[in-house]
Amino acid sequence: MHSLRNHRSRILTALGCLLMVQASMAAPTRASEATASGGNSSPDSAATRLAIKAPKIITVDARDTIINNGVLLIEDGKIKAVGKASEIVIPEGFKLIEHDGWLLPGLVDAHNHIAGSLADLNDGVYLTNPGLRTLDVVDPRNTNLENALSGGVTTVLLIPGSGNNMSGFGTITKTFGNSTDEMVIRSPGSLKIAQAGNPERYWYGVGRTFMNWNTRYTLEKALKYHKDRTEYEKGGMKDGPAYDITWEDFRGMFERKYPVSVHTQIYQVYMTTITMLRDHFGLDVMTDHSTFDSFKLASFIKERNMIPVVGPRQFHFDGRDRTIHGCAARFWEQGVPKIGINTDAPVIPQEDLNFQATMACWYGMNDEYAAIKGLTRYPAEAMNILSMTGSIEVGKDADITLWTGSPIDPRQSCKMTIVNGRIAYDAKVRRRTR
Amino acid sequence: MIAVAVLAFAIAPSARAQTVLLEGAAIVPVVGNPIKKGSILIKDGRIAAIGQTVEAPFDAKVIDCGGRTLFPGMVDVHTSRGIDVPNESPPVTPYLNVYDAIDPSQLFYEDSLRDGVTSIHVIHGNDCVIGGMSRVVHPIGMTPEQMTTLPDAAMKLSLSPKGGYDRMLQLATLREAFAKLDEDMKKLAEQRYEARLREEGKDLDVPPEEEQKRGKELIREEDIDEKNRNLLLLTQGRIRAFIYCGNAMDVAPAVRIARSHGFVDQAVLVLGSECFKAVSELKKAGLPVVLDSTLVHIETDPITGEEKETFVPKVISKAGLKFALQRKTGSSLGERYLWFQAARCIREGISRDDALKSITLWPAEMLGLGDRLGSLEVGKEANILVLTGDPLDAQTWVEKVFIQGEQVYERADDIRLRELFSTPAEEAGPSSSTEPVPTTTKADESSEEREMRTPSEDRPRGERRPRGDGPPRRRGPRPPSPSGDKVE
Repeated sequence: MHSLRNHRSRILTALGCLLMVQASMAAPTRASEATASGGNSSPDSAATRLAIKAPKIITVDARDTIINNGVLLIEDGKIKAVGKASEIVIPEGFKLIEHDGWLLPGLVDAHNHIAGSLADLNDGVYLTNPGLRTLDVVDPRNTNLENALSGGVTTVLLIPGSGNNMSGFGTITKTFGNSTDEMVIRSPGSLKIAQAGNPERYWYGVGRTFMNWNTRYTLEKALKYHKDRTEYEKGGMKDGPAYDITWEDFRGMFERKYPVSVHTQIYQVYMTTITMLRDHFGLDVMTDHSTFDSFKLASFIKERNMIPVVGPRQFHFDGRDRTIHGCAARFWEQGVPKIGINTDAPVIPQEDLNFQATMACWYGMNDEYAAIKGLTRYPAEAMNILSMTGSIEVGKDADITLWTGSPIDPRQSCKMTIVNGRIAYDAKVRRRTR
Repeated sequence: MIAVAVLAFAIAPSARAQTVLLEGAAIVPVVGNPIKKGSILIKDGRIAAIGQTVEAPFDAKVIDCGGRTLFPGMVDVHTSRGIDVPNESPPVTPYLNVYDAIDPSQLFYEDSLRDGVTSIHVIHGNDCVIGGMSRVVHPIGMTPEQMTTLPDAAMKLSLSPKGGYDRMLQLATLREAFAKLDEDMKKLAEQRYEARLREEGKDLDVPPEEEQKRGKELIREEDIDEKNRNLLLLTQGRIRAFIYCGNAMDVAPAVRIARSHGFVDQAVLVLGSECFKAVSELKKAGLPVVLDSTLVHIETDPITGEEKETFVPKVISKAGLKFALQRKTGSSLGERYLWFQAARCIREGISRDDALKSITLWPAEMLGLGDRLGSLEVGKEANILVLTGDPLDAQTWVEKVFIQGEQVYERADDIRLRELFSTPAEEAGPSSSTEPVPTTTKADESSEEREMRTPSEDRPRGERRPRGDGPPRRRGPRPPSPSGDKVE
């Protein structure tokens, strides 16, 4: 259906959420590269105590601290200390890395399909099958993970495809680890919902009326289960509902422990996401894609303090007015303070996450620092994992990337990626070129 | 030229009270006598006073409407535009609601406002068996909630075969839907009655039929499945039914089904152009009808080749039925305007009164909104058009629109009309202007004459209209634009 030759050229134009055909086409090329480079463990991965000196440390912490000529200490997979080189003494037994560029937290991708088996992203039986979990298909051997590491991406939300209306619960994983247990941060990571486009192709001739009804109807059933079951567990109900695996994962979502991540775009669809999922059901909503003309709802986003995660498309061509709009830029200039960036990898190659931010800036989001936060802190915040990763703060997971300069600058590159305190990628040992 | 939209989507009509006096205009109120020169007072979103002279409070905003005509906002009685898709595959979907498909960013709403249509009944298409619930909206707002005039206005049913169906399957499917509802309700009644007996410690003492009768009262709101709820409301006569009849032969079964399931008093028939042939059935049923936008039905005699034209509204009007006209969707011809449709009726001999009512009051009544919309009367919602001339005059433009008392449209700010109304001097740019900009006002006229004359009379047909209001201004945030693009 799609030729491999066209794969790259279509990235900025017709690409969407994961088309399975495309994914399976892309996979073989990655596989051959991976075999040559020899698996997912690199020489220094065993080191547990590291000291990194860097001329610039972008912490993206709550106070936006930037440390010039700083040192970062890593012990037992966590950040032990960070500060000025003149103030921090490197203790005995720490392996020292002298870096001559920028040091940043690992990048976070909130819409992603790379950490698992690409063949099992959509269960093509029912329009809605929320009982499924991508946890069951997490695969540390997926070669796209190596691409992620080469681009400084350390955390991803592996969500099911958008062929179903509700295709199941996603999983938040690190991009490095020898087993699923090592990788997974949280499961369920989020409930994946898609309302228009892909699920419309999936079933026989239903549009947004049925799709939205279906979403609401399913959530109402789930909410009833949650309420009844909670009541039953408290002892307030004699004959509570029987344990039902289809609805069980919704309970944490209704308790706002994890968000619903909605593949949403286009004014009307985006509007429904906000009015139904956020306002009516009171869910913690993470809107990924957020493309086409959804920026016209910026005032709604702002009022509700939501974080739109934008990508893979970074611009919208308005056929009516014949104008080009930067998707992130339009949110930005209307005062949405927090904007995340996503790839939808492998639709966009995972190592190009930072390039997505470059494009967001190029299309008018004239704030590189905010774009860097859109690659790190904001997606982590939207996924509710900011306490673990997404910034450089003492006690957090040591997910670190070393860059030759700003990741927004396409002339710079990632030299080293550290995940949970272990060196997962080192350009000296195995350099990937884009 | 980049056309930037002009409508201020964020300015949804609200309860924010604004007192406005529209002064010195000709008034075509639809109900009551036209006023040659009078005023309307808008207060709290409603019409507070109307007449030749109107007392206004000191703080009222006074808008001089000299030379203008005031007319109620027109009512589009039945459309499947402004939504995602008009019909979806499942045939029986009384639980679906057009609310879930309304797309406020569609150009359709902007166009409606420009064309003077302030109330739009958005309903699923004719290609269904039971199509779901509709909603009456006005064309201003960022969400369907903000746009809403009346939620859950009516249920859509169709008597003409859906794609892939024949008439017998269509009718059988319809019958089955009602039979299933009936069966479900009986079952519920039995369950409720038996539950009551259990509570009282009694044994079942009556046959099922009696049980169903006694249990009917015991059914609670929460017992009713969402898939049945709307259909139940319909059979209880609590919501309206818009029933599509594509051909004359569909009319009788439509009336029969409406009558036998208890919603005939709430039924409106949406007629295909051929349905005038069932005029005797229509007359007998006495139901209000929505006419096809193709007002002229043409038939060719298969033997002689002779063409026979029938002007449908004439037949319906003669039968004494209330009718509403539709706009032709997607057309670039005159039929896309309600006023044009009404004007054609006058050409064919229908009274001006009836023609005006068929695009304002009658459709409002069909939607159960006769007391809120459709005419300029004290107490009604202030949905008012300020027109440059008579509502049925082809040279008339909508100049201002008020919805629920709030001004939501100003022609001078409508950037999509900029090209149309700019003068040659303006187009060439301000510095290269050599010709004086023409104006509509002649110095030697008395002000009285000026007021009585519509601007269009000054100018030969086809000539560009002058605009003296300075460059168009964009108000409010950028409005949404349509999203016909493919999705990711």
